[in-house]
Amino acid sequence: MSVAQAVAQPVAVSRRLAIRFRPSRVVLNVVLILVALFWMVPTISLLVISFRPEGLYGVSGWWTVFTEPSQLTLQNYQSLLGTGLGTGGILDSLITTALITVPATALVTVIASLAAYSLVFGKWRGRTAVFLVIVGLLVVPVQVALIPVAQLYHAFGNLTGFNPYGTLPGVVIFHVAFGLPFGIFLMRNFYTGIPKDLLEAGRIDGAGEWTLFRRVVLPLGVPAAASLAIFQFIWVWNDLLVGLVFLGGNAHHTLTIFLYSQTRTLAASYWVIATGAMISIIVPLAIFFAFQRYFVRGVLAGAVK
Amino acid sequence: MARVALEELTKRYAGGNLAVDRLNLDIADGEFVCLVGPSGCGKTTALRMIAGLEDITSGRVRIGEKVVNLLPPRDRDIALVFQSYALYPHMSVYDNMAFGLQLRKTPKPQIEKAVKEAARILDLERFLDRKPGQLSGGQRQRVALGRAIVREPAAFLMDEPLSNLDAKLRVQTRAEIARLHQRLEATMIYVTHDQVEAMTMADRIAVINEGLLQQVGTPKELYEQPHNRFVAGFIGSPSMNFVETASHRNGKAELQGEGVNLVLDDAQAARLRDRGLEAVVVGFRPEHLKVGEPGGPGLRVSARIDVVEFLGNDELIHAVSGGRDTVAIVEADARLAVGDTVSLWAEPRHVYLFDPQSEVSLGGA
Amino acid sequence: MAVSALGRRLGLRRAVATPSPDLGTPAVGVGQMADVGRPPGGGWRSHLGSLAFLAPAAIWLLVIVAYPLIGTIRNSFYDNSSTQFVGLGNYKTIFSTADILVSFRNNVIWVVVFPFLVTFLGLVFAVLTERVRWATAFKTIIFMPIAFSATASALVWNSIMDVDPHVGMVNATLQTINDWFSPPGLYPVNTGAGQTLSELASTGLGAGANGTLVSKAPVSPGQSVQLGMLGISPATLQLVGAQKAVIPASASGAVTGLVWRDFSPTNPTARGRVFADEDGIAGLRVTLLSSSGNSVGSTTTDAHGDFTFSGVSPGAYRVQLDSSNFSSGFTGIYWLSGTQNIDPTSGLNQTAQALLSIPLVDLSMIIAYLWIWAGFAMVIIGAGLAALNREVLEAARIDGANEWQTFRRVTMPMLAPVLVVVFVTMVINVLKIFDIILNMAPSVSQANTLATSLYNLGFASSPPANGLASAIAVILFVLVVPVIYINLRRIR
Repeated sequence: MSVAQAVAQPVAVSRRLAIRFRPSRVVLNVVLILVALFWMVPTISLLVISFRPEGLYGVSGWWTVFTEPSQLTLQNYQSLLGTGLGTGGILDSLITTALITVPATALVTVIASLAAYSLVFGKWRGRTAVFLVIVGLLVVPVQVALIPVAQLYHAFGNLTGFNPYGTLPGVVIFHVAFGLPFGIFLMRNFYTGIPKDLLEAGRIDGAGEWTLFRRVVLPLGVPAAASLAIFQFIWVWNDLLVGLVFLGGNAHHTLTIFLYSQTRTLAASYWVIATGAMISIIVPLAIFFAFQRYFVRGVLAGAVK
Repeated sequence: MARVALEELTKRYAGGNLAVDRLNLDIADGEFVCLVGPSGCGKTTALRMIAGLEDITSGRVRIGEKVVNLLPPRDRDIALVFQSYALYPHMSVYDNMAFGLQLRKTPKPQIEKAVKEAARILDLERFLDRKPGQLSGGQRQRVALGRAIVREPAAFLMDEPLSNLDAKLRVQTRAEIARLHQRLEATMIYVTHDQVEAMTMADRIAVINEGLLQQVGTPKELYEQPHNRFVAGFIGSPSMNFVETASHRNGKAELQGEGVNLVLDDAQAARLRDRGLEAVVVGFRPEHLKVGEPGGPGLRVSARIDVVEFLGNDELIHAVSGGRDTVAIVEADARLAVGDTVSLWAEPRHVYLFDPQSEVSLGGA
Repeated sequence: MAVSALGRRLGLRRAVATPSPDLGTPAVGVGQMADVGRPPGGGWRSHLGSLAFLAPAAIWLLVIVAYPLIGTIRNSFYDNSSTQFVGLGNYKTIFSTADILVSFRNNVIWVVVFPFLVTFLGLVFAVLTERVRWATAFKTIIFMPIAFSATASALVWNSIMDVDPHVGMVNATLQTINDWFSPPGLYPVNTGAGQTLSELASTGLGAGANGTLVSKAPVSPGQSVQLGMLGISPATLQLVGAQKAVIPASASGAVTGLVWRDFSPTNPTARGRVFADEDGIAGLRVTLLSSSGNSVGSTTTDAHGDFTFSGVSPGAYRVQLDSSNFSSGFTGIYWLSGTQNIDPTSGLNQTAQALLSIPLVDLSMIIAYLWIWAGFAMVIIGAGLAALNREVLEAARIDGANEWQTFRRVTMPMLAPVLVVVFVTMVINVLKIFDIILNMAPSVSQANTLATSLYNLGFASSPPANGLASAIAVILFVLVVPVIYINLRRIR
């Protein structure tokens, strides 16, 4: 058989197979495309509404933009962002959210890594018991701690003059506490995959615990730490409840509180909500797309949360 | 039971990669054939095409007299034993074996009879209620075999079924499969990269390299008359020594290579003359080397001993001449020591000659 | 002792500061440590060191999680100012307060409905995407909403579910479909402004069955009827293209008639007479009814408001103006309503009624929440699918299973542990559900859940009801205890 024949024949066979399987394939693809479109509708609607003049909301549906693209305008963003800083506008909320999220994420990542190191490579007794307690804490709802922690903050304020209630540190402290069980769980699971021999070799070479942590375990654990950090970042960034409770009467609002408070004002205007929501999702969305793989890993590891 | 025939069987992957290239193989009813070759040679792909797990690019697979190219696996009447055993982890041993029959709506008493019988043959009767997770590797292996047996298929296909077992268990199970084949008189197609398995079990062996069939034959044929350098090197353990040689310039029927001197016998000299070859690759098996000098025509190797591995009855020696390594198996009482220079020789009938370009055997030996 | 600690630290510093390719480098410190006689890698201090690593986490968890948990349990047995012990009083109050019982009901709805739906949807997506080439794109699209805050998502869905078809896409879609099958009439009754159908009847007309208007007096073939209507604006008539009302001539064997706007700007109080400045009502569907009420024929009025039924056998008939003329079409479903199914006339007491009525807003929020979490379920189940041993699935095919049998009898059982994980995770998630309710049903107390009730009682009311809120928190905690137990067993 010549090469040409050998090449020609497979085409014939595979075409026959293709014909056999085509109808179900087409149906499947069409169904999934419809599902995907359906899933994108809310995001697209938010995007479009945020770019339509406020006066058109309630007069014509956002979808009319597809026939009249001239509706699009930047004016919502201009008016929302134009209030500037220090006015209680959305820019302040953006900064407040970042000021809560960044430290809460960094602290959880570092403290959880340290604790996981201790649980995996430490030699003290009762490590398993401590780990099981942490597994137990994984699913404890934040609600159980809200009131006592608020009381604790007030008591601390009476004692020292600094009351964390209503302050950013107060919010961060709470977030860190409830991010730790998951963080320790995730990091421990990763660290258990590091061969103990590697640490033994380091110990024989004379490295102390801190060196081993800094030089061996921490670099090896970067993928897990990245997953944890991204997961925690998005979690805290999107939180409403903890901010609502612990910022109390603070004038600084997180983005979610900003949005929520819009629904509570009598003159609730949807253009503010839509534009604000768009601004609030830009950061997590960018992180989601930039680090999707790490995020998915975090989600997979955190299936118990 | 049925004959299985592969006709110009070809698999080309979407990327253009040719995994199996015009494979022709006729496997008789009741025959045990091994497909053997290095990993990635296409042997597993060929097996999966027979099973129906892989689309056939071109060519035909016949089972019995029927072309099965477009049939799904379930209509091909074959059973496949997987490398990982592929037992259903959620089912008991009994259900693992019965599943295929249940799907075929076989009456319950009949299923029970078939499973009990297979369990008896494979000594699994005590484990029928266990899950695969509670079994040892060897037991799982036997369940996988049992699952194939109960179906009484036209052909058994096995994909490296022993590779996940430890060395001792592998030898045991090898014998078990051979026994099973005798007992069932079934057609078996067995894929392995281990030539020892192939040599010990198969009626015939098909050696495959880079998608191409190199040679088909009985183990003895392959060992004694390899078609080409690849087969010669692949079959036999430790593998054959090869030396590139050229005619001695004084025109005598003598070849020389690094540390090697070969005086050709008349038949060999004639073959060389017929093909007009000045240079050939000479091959000789470690087990055919003896300490000493040849009396007449024959091969002579002179080398310095590098490593001696004690095997009990024999010793395996690695000897170096120039940059080339020669492996030989000699009797342990030869008292050879590392650093010694040793002379080894082999009879002409144990010397293989290969065309240096095509690497095809010049015949003889 | 102090020296050795110092030496160790110096060694550490150097080891850390020196960039080095491999693990061997801390040898810089070894010499120093060896000098002070510390055995390599051993000693109690190293244990203490690694234990110290745990300290920040331990302190944090003890102070902000463990201690408050105990505090909450204590508070739940004290009054709302956390000073007076009240025993089980708070729990009694909770189980006898209608508003809080509604929260329980809603949590039950969420826990029963949502985890099941989201797991199912995730499974379907995960299985289907395995067979398409653009699986990654699809998964990204479905998974993306998880990066949004539940707050933002809730607000998006708030707009999608809006009652006004000009805002809410769901109602806009339903309106389009509805108009397709039963288009709104030319003369819709503006019920929104309090208008009723019988107010449209002026002369010779009365309310008929099922939203129709019917002529009061019977009419026989050869006669002509005049039917006057009110409450229809000149603008509407102009839009329809109506012209001056003309009284039709009577014809034998035919019923003829006129429907006109019985309001003359020049004679604003005169009714029942056709003036020159009055228009006919055009495009009206008119049906002739026999004395037994059966339809004999249908027609449409012309631009002058005239209609004719010819070839009518003798007898007494009535003229009906069809309900389709007055239908206002689809005006939108109140998806975010919390009071949909309450029936004040049923004999049940208020609490029972509140518990039995499932507000539409719950359904809407569940849809929105599915939009957020289906991707999560899909990704986890997809990872589970990918981790399955391919050879086992192939073995099933060899054994003779078709695709469905392979899925049902091999894939599903092997995937079961993953499905359980997703299900349990979602149960915990919706037990605590908060953000979406606060934002999607901002003023609907019927949508409250335990978490929102807890927030409302403990933080949004003044003075805060700490006791009640704590009792709810304890109940939430008790509900997750079985999950803690499951997790611990799985980890071990």
